[in-house]
Amino acid sequence: MTDTLTGSPGPTGDDSDHVTLRGGDLGWRPVSSALATVRLIVLGCVLVAPLVVSVVVAVLVTPWVWLGTLAVLLVAAWGVWIVRRQVSAISWVELDEEIVIRRGRLFRTLVSVPYGRLQYVDIQSGPLMRAFGIASCELHTASPESGGALPGLPTAEAEELRARLARRGEAQRAGL
Amino acid sequence: MSTAEPPPEPPEDRTGDEGWQRLHPLSPMLRGGLFLVAVVGYLVSGVVDRTLRSVDDSLGVPGAPDTTEGLEFLARMPLVGASVLVVVLALIGVGSWVSWRFARFRVADGQVELRSGVLFRQHRQVPLERIQAVETTRPLLARLTGLSQVVVQSAGGSDSHLALAYLHQARAEEVRAHLLELAGQADETVAGAVVGPGDGPVGVTTHRAATEEEPVVTVPNGRLFVATILHGSSLALALIAALALGSAGALELGVVVLGAAPALVPVVFGLGVVRVKELLVHGNFALSRTGTALRIRHGLTELRAASVPLHRVQAVEAVQPLWWRPFGWWRLRVNVAGVHGSDGDDGETTLLPVGTLEETLAVLAILGARSDDPLVATALHGSGPDGGWVGPPRAARWFDPLSWRRIGYALSDATVHLRSGRLGRRVAIVPYARVQSTTLGQGPIEARLGLASAKLVSTPGPVSAGVRHLTVPDAERFLDVVGERTRVARRRTGTATSGDTPLAVAPLAPDAPRLVD
Repeated sequence: MTDTLTGSPGPTGDDSDHVTLRGGDLGWRPVSSALATVRLIVLGCVLVAPLVVSVVVAVLVTPWVWLGTLAVLLVAAWGVWIVRRQVSAISWVELDEEIVIRRGRLFRTLVSVPYGRLQYVDIQSGPLMRAFGIASCELHTASPESGGALPGLPTAEAEELRARLARRGEAQRAGL
Repeated sequence: MSTAEPPPEPPEDRTGDEGWQRLHPLSPMLRGGLFLVAVVGYLVSGVVDRTLRSVDDSLGVPGAPDTTEGLEFLARMPLVGASVLVVVLALIGVGSWVSWRFARFRVADGQVELRSGVLFRQHRQVPLERIQAVETTRPLLARLTGLSQVVVQSAGGSDSHLALAYLHQARAEEVRAHLLELAGQADETVAGAVVGPGDGPVGVTTHRAATEEEPVVTVPNGRLFVATILHGSSLALALIAALALGSAGALELGVVVLGAAPALVPVVFGLGVVRVKELLVHGNFALSRTGTALRIRHGLTELRAASVPLHRVQAVEAVQPLWWRPFGWWRLRVNVAGVHGSDGDDGETTLLPVGTLEETLAVLAILGARSDDPLVATALHGSGPDGGWVGPPRAARWFDPLSWRRIGYALSDATVHLRSGRLGRRVAIVPYARVQSTTLGQGPIEARLGLASAKLVSTPGPVSAGVRHLTVPDAERFLDVVGERTRVARRRTGTATSGDTPLAVAPLAPDAPRLVD
């Protein structure tokens, strides 16, 4: 379909490194599996209250509330499944001039951020994430909507990534 | 309105040193504007009221019941009232004077600086090379006194704007032109450092900048009025009104409609306000070109003039609502870094509120999209794959039953063209060198149909550039090809240079003609 390129020098067709929506042969790297653990803990904290309440009410008032307990358990199971799938769907790869981040299974998104467009990189980690030694790394460009985020990198790797991105960003800086 | 005591030590020398300049002495009054008018008006009306009533009393006419409660005491004793008035005025005067003495600005050391505040000092500076646009605005009160405000916009949100309020109109124009020229030079030196000397006619165009001004387009208010009325919401209003009137005859239905009327009032009012505001913002519209910048003048009551350096334009959008099609009118808007077309105020980002096809093409040509480029013509009016357009497959008709043949993208040497909309038309043009990042997205239904949507992310603004529901291979190819070309474009430009037309920034074909002159 080179007829889509209206008579101008097209890209040099180097077919080895095509970025595709479903991954490919590039060295896609996953995020830390600790992210799933962290998210599961958060999920557990949210669900433990309704679980306890429903059990107490079921024991003390009416056994019909066991149905509620069942519902909470179902939600929990579904949540666990979703979290595992979501976390395993996040992957990223550093190319020569861009970093590409993929996420989602049901709703897939892929964002490709050129190093030269990076304004700054944020590293954040809450107490829970710190306990598991991971941090999230957020990329910011001149547009608030274009930055990607890598939610669960091992802290050391996140720091390295930031340093690397800053270096490459400086080298390939492109003006607004 | 600060009514602080006189300063302990006088501010530095008046003509002082390194070129600090003062704003116009009336500025604090104008900034306090409406408040001042209200206070003075209230006091004066109280006194006048009282005087009149005393005249009435002396004539034996029974006075109306006293309604001024807070100032009843003052009103009873005109002398005290008058002296209070004098004191208040004096305080305001002193406060304004002090605030005026303390507000100074200068253009030096590669930046614009503004110092203000008496108790809470503020020092704001904007580096010249960060200036995205400079505009002069004239609110109603300032207009009456012949003053203008200069607003320097820089990338980094509205917090980073610097407003010189107020200056004499002529002085404001001078400052604006001066700043724009300096900003252009700052760009040039940066560009020179990166690209190296001898890179095209950048210098030539810059030095000519901001001097002569060629008018490009003037939009007659009549056309704007018609165009503003021709809007989905106002047509809906007309429909509602027609229904109400028509059904008033049929009794039962009429009752229902009348019952619903009060609920509709806020809606109608809201829509009306939006329409009127649009008219106020875009009235008296004139676009002209000064060297490397576009100058926009607009505003029915509040005259505003904004300058957008051509090379700061990030993306362009042409929109034709369904109701404008019989007239062939288009609206052109742009994304400019640092100038947000948010909260409905798209005054600075609208290059043409409503223009004929020729005018639209003329403005596009200034931006670098030549009207003889077949891509421009097919982008505006075409549909289907003719002319190098890539669009969604037949499967996408489930999403876009009307427009799936029109949706698409096409690539030129320097830009990505995207079009959509079968009834109302929309075209976006983004230069490769201005793409911030690229995204692909796919929802579950799209996944079933083998489709994916692609989007080019630009800086914040009214223009969004995306193409929906391509086949997955097409979307991936879009990412690939556009990615490659943006890479090349970024390497070419390094940084934006004044003198570049946005849509023709560093054409990929090396022998392509420069479109500036």
